Amino acid sequence: MNLAELQALLHGRITGMVAGREDEVREQVVARPPLDGLARVEIYAGMYLHRLVDAIAEDVPHTSRVLGHEAFVELVRAYLHEHPSRSPDISQAGRHFGAWLRTYSGIRADLPDLALLERARSEVRTAPDAPVAGPEELQSLSADALPGAHFHFSPSLRLLRLQHDVRKLWDVLDGDAGEVPDPLPGPTTLAVWRQEFKVFHTGLSEREARALMVAREGGSLEEVCATFAGEPEPAHTAFKTVLSWFADGWVAAVTSQRV
Amino acid sequence: MVPFLGHGIGLRTKHFPDLLEQGRRADWFEVITENFLNVGGRPRAVLEAVRRDRPVVLHGVSLSIGSVDPLNDEYLDDLQALAEAVEPAWVSDHLCWGTFGRHNAHDLLPLPFTEESLAHVVSRVSEVQERLGRRIVLENVSSYLTYGASSIPEWDFLAEVARRADCLLLLDVNNVHVSATNHGFDAAEYLRGIPVDRVAQFHLAGHQDLGTHLLDTHDAPVPDPVWALYRDAVRRFGRVSTLVEWDDHIPPLDEVLAEAEKARGFEKSVLEEVAA
Repeated sequence: MNLAELQALLHGRITGMVAGREDEVREQVVARPPLDGLARVEIYAGMYLHRLVDAIAEDVPHTSRVLGHEAFVELVRAYLHEHPSRSPDISQAGRHFGAWLRTYSGIRADLPDLALLERARSEVRTAPDAPVAGPEELQSLSADALPGAHFHFSPSLRLLRLQHDVRKLWDVLDGDAGEVPDPLPGPTTLAVWRQEFKVFHTGLSEREARALMVAREGGSLEEVCATFAGEPEPAHTAFKTVLSWFADGWVAAVTSQRV
Repeated sequence: MVPFLGHGIGLRTKHFPDLLEQGRRADWFEVITENFLNVGGRPRAVLEAVRRDRPVVLHGVSLSIGSVDPLNDEYLDDLQALAEAVEPAWVSDHLCWGTFGRHNAHDLLPLPFTEESLAHVVSRVSEVQERLGRRIVLENVSSYLTYGASSIPEWDFLAEVARRADCLLLLDVNNVHVSATNHGFDAAEYLRGIPVDRVAQFHLAGHQDLGTHLLDTHDAPVPDPVWALYRDAVRRFGRVSTLVEWDDHIPPLDEVLAEAEKARGFEKSVLEEVAA
């Protein structure tokens, strides 16, 4: 067996992606009492699952707590089968866990959304640093350039589209106090971000969520403002909203082609 | 060769507050490379603060130098960027493999010690060193299995990789003890097989005895047999930058620093004994 064949055999066995082939494993791995070759490989297989369960639980501590350890381990095992870790960084192993949970029945309905929120908070905590722009960057633009202004957002800003409002659930679990509320179904958009080293999340109205999405996708200030058409005071509401993005430190820079 | 940094500890999240409040009290710090790739926020701020005061070494766990997968270009680019930002005393990783088909097992899996593996690893170390523009330092891993195909003693394999690829070695004394116990070889023979001029760093750590085998857990103080082997290592290799690893059930900072001080004490007594 050459090096590639040996690695395929061992890797499959350790990660659980390949079942069987016990005789081949015993043939390749030296038995030394009290452990035969297969038992020696199983040491690595046990550590593989244990290590990834720990890493993913670190991402979604409240979700894993609600599920209970045994159920969480089984879910992680099934998840890894569909989403084997592709990143050198083990903290990325759970990046699809929340979305994957949505495909899984038999668990509390809002747990996928809780997992998505927890994962976003975890990502935001260590997202790359970026400068924080103030509203003066917008104000410094000429009247001619202002409508064409574009926002560049901090890499630590996340926008989550959830199927349940899990804010109260997260609060109760994070504070370890109060009764766990029943699932609260309904589309909910949350922004998750970091200021200095502190992570926040907040709910957004449908209107603000749409404006933020337009801005994040490269829309101009004029296009952002257009999403507020139909409001009683669209210009005022639009500017108030945009100013709040600066106040929360979401904006890293403002550019305009016409300055 | 690389500079002698003294006796350091691993930079761990649990100790961030103490390190920032009390100053950087170890001689130097080793950081897990993957924890700081493309990372901002508090971890990056702490790393920068530590680096302003003390030497730092980047210690990776995912280079997978022995894997048959192609080298991960993105990983190497990120590593290069981090190294440029941090200016580490050196960059280390493990003589092992961990990926297959781009699927990461997040483990340090042992290689078969064969001529095929040797040629494969030497070629990849050379490629990585060329990419990074520096010599890398490779660590011996602890292991729980050996292969029937192995035809070269582990220590000779390590020495030959270092010689042919012109890289340096991180001798993990705990790993030598763990593997020697698990596979029944002589740890002293292992040390004798490692070329003195290639060793850039020592690792020390604790492990667990599970009855059927020793498990390299990094969750306990350095046990007596590892201290004894460390003294043998100092006797053979002289003053070498030494680092205490503690990655699980991490105690307060003072306790980890006390282990580093213990290493300093053993090193001093051995060097005095040798000088006499």
